[in-house]
Amino acid sequence: MKRKLFPVAALALVFILSGACLPHLRKAKQFYAEGQDQARVFRTAAAVASWKRALDEAECECRRKPSAQAFTIKGLAETNLGRWREAEASFLKAFSLGYEPGEAWASDVALAGLAASFEELGLEAPALRIYAQLLDKSAFKPVLMTAAEKRTNLVLARAAGLDPEEKSRTLAGLTKALDRLLDRDFACGLFHYLHAQVDGHIGDLRRSYEEAVIAHELGLPSEKISRDNDNQLIYCYDKLKETLPAAESKAFASAHSGWTKKWGWRDARTPAWKKD
Amino acid sequence: MNKKGVEGALARGVEILDGFLPLKSWLYFPVLYSACVWAVRRVFDYRDRILAWQVWLDPEFVRTKPDEFILHFFSGDEALGREYADELTRGDLRTLRAAFPALYPIFGLEDAFLTALFKAEIESADYRGIVVEFASRTSKARDDIQPAAANPDFWKALELIGMEAASLGLHLLKDEDVQNMIIALVKKPASISPTIPPDA
Repeated sequence: MKRKLFPVAALALVFILSGACLPHLRKAKQFYAEGQDQARVFRTAAAVASWKRALDEAECECRRKPSAQAFTIKGLAETNLGRWREAEASFLKAFSLGYEPGEAWASDVALAGLAASFEELGLEAPALRIYAQLLDKSAFKPVLMTAAEKRTNLVLARAAGLDPEEKSRTLAGLTKALDRLLDRDFACGLFHYLHAQVDGHIGDLRRSYEEAVIAHELGLPSEKISRDNDNQLIYCYDKLKETLPAAESKAFASAHSGWTKKWGWRDARTPAWKKD
Repeated sequence: MNKKGVEGALARGVEILDGFLPLKSWLYFPVLYSACVWAVRRVFDYRDRILAWQVWLDPEFVRTKPDEFILHFFSGDEALGREYADELTRGDLRTLRAAFPALYPIFGLEDAFLTALFKAEIESADYRGIVVEFASRTSKARDDIQPAAANPDFWKALELIGMEAASLGLHLLKDEDVQNMIIALVKKPASISPTIPPDA
């Protein structure tokens, strides 16, 4: 009787244990997502509590059944809790374990998290390399957008301290990277917005204006970026009107007027959201 | 347009905010005024709109602007151009760049909450005062609004106030009149503490 029962009990035990294992990762993901939702509405204390629970669950999963996904979630929770050193170690551990086929998105998320940890620890150079790698390889759009924005900001901040020749080379490289992104996804308004910002630094205001127009047409991910894009349009408009030859300037002003009418601006320099 | 009705709706708004933000009356004006701005525009995702100013504090966003853009911002605004005329003439980008993160969200991006938060300084053209006060006052506002912002009822109540005021003709009033109306209402009740931030 005992012999007969043993395989059944063993099977039940395996079932229970696997059932017990699986929820840790699932719970970790669930708590992590809850934390993200709470952080979005500025419920900081609740968000921190959720990320701590996500971390506890992810640590359980890492002990019981170490996997790249479990360490990725652990690293993400640690990133949000400001534990940059631990996050870095978790992401590195995730890579050492290797991702399963179909988990490329998780690998990209872990890489973006690793880059953010490096950035916070003041290691901008490796962070930049990772963002560049993600821009070349990732097919996961949220990661791609984050990497594009982060890399552009980091490069622009660095370029400010460079001598003119070096700065020009750096910005040219950034433009090429953004061009490649646009080749892959021309319909992403954020990429056009970033291009317009970089063109503004280079002094190519005509291209900056065009990119900002396309960004406006395609839509931007936040009010903040959308208004800043409008200000970039006004800046380019003012400067181009000053510098273009008379006939060209007139044609440009007329084209600009067409766009602004379409967008409901009060005049060439006043978007609808601006006060009179 | 029913001006008395609008005033009544805003007075109820002040009472409601007294419940959600007890002893933080200095926040009533920025919160209620930004709710009115969005109500007039018939945009009712209040939480995201009113809290947008917190996103605009992101230093990454402003630290990378080129010098030319910053110069254009200061010289393009009449009042700021006057205040910073010396710096503009000298090409003192160090001072202008330091002032830009505080002034750009208010005068460049026109955030309603920040505009109300610094109304006293804007009215007295004390732009340098905004730069000095910006970090501490916004940080205090962020801490003080947090408990109410976590409560969905707070946003629901604001939406109802905004919708009621809008239905009574809020959009027909001048921006300045709306601001003055709210300020008068906030100052009215004897139980309400000062309308300026404690640290200001």
